[in-house]
Amino acid sequence: MHTLYIAQRELKSYFTSPLAYVVICLTQLLLGVLFFLYRGGFWQVDRATLDRLFEYAPYGLCLLVIPVITMRLIAEEKSTGTLEMLITLPVNDWEVVLGKYLGALGLVLILVLSTVVYPVAMFIWPWKLGAIDWGPVKAGYLGLGLMSAAGTAIGLLISSVTRSQVIAFFVTFATLFTLVVLLGVGGEFAAKAGVGTVVTFLSFQSHMTNFARGLIDTRSVVYFLSITVFSLMIAFRALESRKWK
Amino acid sequence: MSTDVMIHADRLSKVFGSYRALDNVSFEVKQGEVVGFLGPNGAGKSTTMRILTCFISPSSGGAKVHGHDVFDDPLEVRRSLGYLPQRAPIYPDMTVWEYLEFVAKMRGLDSSTFRKRMKKIVEVCGLAQSLGKDIGTLSHGYRQRVGLGQALVHDPPILILDEPTSDLDPNEKAELIRYIQDIGKDRTILLSTHNLNEVEQACARAIIVSKGRVVADGALDDIRAKTGRVRYVVIVDEKNALKGSAPKEEEVRALLAKIKGVVKVKEIPTDDRAHGFELAGEQDGDLRGELFRAFVDKGWILLELRRDAQKLEDVFHELTRKDERLTRGKAAEEEEDEDEGDEGEDEDNENDSGDRDRKG
Repeated sequence: MHTLYIAQRELKSYFTSPLAYVVICLTQLLLGVLFFLYRGGFWQVDRATLDRLFEYAPYGLCLLVIPVITMRLIAEEKSTGTLEMLITLPVNDWEVVLGKYLGALGLVLILVLSTVVYPVAMFIWPWKLGAIDWGPVKAGYLGLGLMSAAGTAIGLLISSVTRSQVIAFFVTFATLFTLVVLLGVGGEFAAKAGVGTVVTFLSFQSHMTNFARGLIDTRSVVYFLSITVFSLMIAFRALESRKWK
Repeated sequence: MSTDVMIHADRLSKVFGSYRALDNVSFEVKQGEVVGFLGPNGAGKSTTMRILTCFISPSSGGAKVHGHDVFDDPLEVRRSLGYLPQRAPIYPDMTVWEYLEFVAKMRGLDSSTFRKRMKKIVEVCGLAQSLGKDIGTLSHGYRQRVGLGQALVHDPPILILDEPTSDLDPNEKAELIRYIQDIGKDRTILLSTHNLNEVEQACARAIIVSKGRVVADGALDDIRAKTGRVRYVVIVDEKNALKGSAPKEEEVRALLAKIKGVVKVKEIPTDDRAHGFELAGEQDGDLRGELFRAFVDKGWILLELRRDAQKLEDVFHELTRKDERLTRGKAAEEEEDEDEGDEGEDEDNENDSGDRDRKG
């Protein structure tokens, strides 16, 4: 129960500040531009597909949304001292970590789900731009969800080891940039060195491509889930370490 | 350990890097006691309180609150106490009501109990006007009240308050102290403050820490007697005398200093019709007779003469002064004659700070 109360409070606090609104509006706007206009956009592809959404959404999520949403999670509470108030309530440290995580993930998922307006508006109502294959759409959203879970956990972990939101933002950004962009690009170079599979496997993007094709690969699911669990465990340890410092 | 011991700190030490914040701190607080926890800034008050509330763990030693061990049972410890950290850090984006409701939920109160408690809390903490306001817009004093409110929400048997009056105005302070006296009748309160007057009003007992060590622990009267001194206040008429001329300040001072048994003479402020002095003398002697005789001999008019226990403030200064001087980078060379009063507490604890890893 504690976990839920903390998550609830956290999620609510995003909406009492302008943060949630700003992030949601900006991402929608950016995604719209990328989807419809950038490089000829959706129309150029000339197929009833959301490929492009699943291609660009990871960038928006990992390079903007997740770092902004997670930077304050624990860093802010540490610097303002509210952490002391929270932790000296009868809660376990893991409940604090999990609650905060779920609160942030909630907002990220709200954002992800708000893009459902794309397929609905284009293929169901009011426009019917063609018969879309719903399999890849559902798989794609599952992929985005799993990726958000992993990214948010990484953000939380980084927020739990610093007091500064700015540092938390940039380190999270850099980490996710590496996972989404660098490793994707690096895969091609690494292939020459014979470690291409490893590097590609570590990249978020390679897993997302599978999901966008409608392929739910167990390896990808396990990949995202293990990042999530691992990061949460370290975040928990980082929070606990205040006791022994 | 008898059952009415509510807080039991046992040889607590805490080391931050190379800095020893606490050094073998032991004390007990019994049920119904209101204990003032005093010490200069950086003496280890907040560190002790954080250990007692299981926010941090001691490097060595242990503590029990309400019979629960801070290592083994941190949740039970926290359930049995209400804690107000220094400066009352509270989420600024919530309203007062929302925040208190959040705390109540986290403490497992159902909503009808919460509403019932809130009536009392609103009255006690004076929150009626601000329940719907965002905490971020409140003044420090009000935030402190909200912080106190959240510590009281579940009606805990033990309260740990870290400088609860620091941001309050004098009226609020007086109100809070009155309240602490009131609830202290059936509750255990550990209260840290810099304001010694508050301790004298609200507490029967005080613990003084300095540089991470307990330098005094006992009933206020015992602590006041700790320096082995009493205090005399002498006020002499400055304008008139029964014979000879009216006394000058230096003359009075010289006379006082000559009297046997007077240890220290200090002028105290008075109006322009009198000279006022504060003297220190031995605990078991009484100099009033001799003082009176000396003034009669001179023909000076004694307006006031009284013998008190030493003020808590003086004891506090005396007990913590040496450490304070070190902090300011001055060697403790002068005034070495005064006792430090921490004997017996810390003779055999030189090197036992090895991090005892008792993971909780």
